[in-house]
Amino acid sequence: MKKQIIPGYAVFALALVISVGSVSFLGPWVHEDGTVGACHWASRALLGLGMLLSVLAMLAVLLRGARLGLYLAMCLSSILGILTPGTLISLCKMSSMHCRAVMQPAMTILFAAAGLAALCGAVMCFREKKERA
Amino acid sequence: MKILPLSLKNLARKPGRTAALVLLTAFLALAVFGGSVVILSLRTGLQSLEARLGADIILVPSEAQSKVSFQNMFLQGTTGAFYMDAAVADKALEVPGVEKAAPQTFLASLKADCCSIKIQVIGIDPAKDFTVQPWIARSLTGDMGDMDVVVGCRVEAGIGEIIRIYEQRCKVVAQLEPTGTGLDIAVYCNMHTMDTLLAAAEAKGVSHKIASGDDSVISAVYIKVKDGYDIDTVNTALTGKLRKVTAVRTRSMITGVSDSLAGVSRTVSAMTVVIWILAFIILLLAYTLVVRERTREFAVLRLIGASRGMLGRMALLESAMCGLGGGIAGTGLAAIGVFSFSALIESSLGLPYLFPGIGTILLLAAGTVLLSIAVSALASAFAARRLSRVQPGTALREGN
Repeated sequence: MKKQIIPGYAVFALALVISVGSVSFLGPWVHEDGTVGACHWASRALLGLGMLLSVLAMLAVLLRGARLGLYLAMCLSSILGILTPGTLISLCKMSSMHCRAVMQPAMTILFAAAGLAALCGAVMCFREKKERA
Repeated sequence: MKILPLSLKNLARKPGRTAALVLLTAFLALAVFGGSVVILSLRTGLQSLEARLGADIILVPSEAQSKVSFQNMFLQGTTGAFYMDAAVADKALEVPGVEKAAPQTFLASLKADCCSIKIQVIGIDPAKDFTVQPWIARSLTGDMGDMDVVVGCRVEAGIGEIIRIYEQRCKVVAQLEPTGTGLDIAVYCNMHTMDTLLAAAEAKGVSHKIASGDDSVISAVYIKVKDGYDIDTVNTALTGKLRKVTAVRTRSMITGVSDSLAGVSRTVSAMTVVIWILAFIILLLAYTLVVRERTREFAVLRLIGASRGMLGRMALLESAMCGLGGGIAGTGLAAIGVFSFSALIESSLGLPYLFPGIGTILLLAAGTVLLSIAVSALASAFAARRLSRVQPGTALREGN
């Protein structure tokens, strides 16, 4: 039983990095003239998804009965996180810009890692359910 | 007794020890693959820059070098706006030894509607140009019309898309292949479009007029020297004939980049070698400790009929499997880092950076994995030899 909460903690840690990073060291730079581009709103969406993931991860650690469903929700949220910068919300058009050079690849890697951890958790829960049945 | 299943069980039985050995080898593979890809990409970038420049000499206004580093403009896309009389191109053709003279006009955009930074707009004369036109011809089948632009590979604008420069709508008609230099973030147009953009810039308060007040301006002239003529002699002749103009030999520019590249290559190579030596020593120590831990286990195996050769092979196989796992993991991690953050690496190095072909990369990955297996096996060879010579009776009596 203890093993199944480990992916939850891993997702929680990754979600914290996503939430903090998307609006700080991994986030887009402020434009020279103070205006904000689409990448700014992409970073806000990533902040929201990061917070959602962290709440889901904490619930997965605390609520034993709903763990499988929560892990699956985390997998889907991670896919949404991967698609958000660049696909669902456009970024700057030059690939040398911070949002494209740093934010997009970093967020893709972090959400992919979170998704994989959540998938491991889901598999563990599924196996346990099968064994019980 | 089969060696492979037994070795796999041994590795699975001690997950902590196996994970530590795999991690160590992964670290080795990461350093080798990551370092090699960076060095190879820098070399490919330099070759691309050499091929792309095409010209032997570049003429720029004398004040250009104080305004912006011409080298940085090519390597990092640092925007520059300097102008001289358009007649310079025709005057250059009068110098003996000059075969072709292609004028270009530069304009640093205030800010494109896509990005928060300036982009370099380069106006070319398709009839005279021999530096950019061959590259454009590969991507563009027709002519480049007025208000049509060709964008560098790192300007993420699709063909047919409209981009705004100084509030002027320009249609993207083609995208160039990557060069790994600042040319990748430039936008190319013909001289008529450039005149329109210069006028629009003027209306926005960005002056481009030269001291003479002549509106017909260019920023640089790319010179191709005739075969049989000495480039240095032509360079001197051009400097002597044309006033307020500096002639820059492209070779000297590339030599500067090549020197920087050699420095970076040396540093990366030295760091990789140091990491390898350290990790090899740690692996040797780790396998020596494993010998002490597994003496009794091997003594029992000897008692139940395993030969010395079989035990040695088993120890080597286990280390090779750790090497394989670590090699794949390290190469994979390095690939994720190097390919995902290529734009960041390029801007941090400030040098031409272009990935080699997929074949080279796959070959490099396979080589790294093989090297990881070989080093793991080599590090454990001594331990395997000791383990295979275990005297069962003595080992079990001593209780080691």
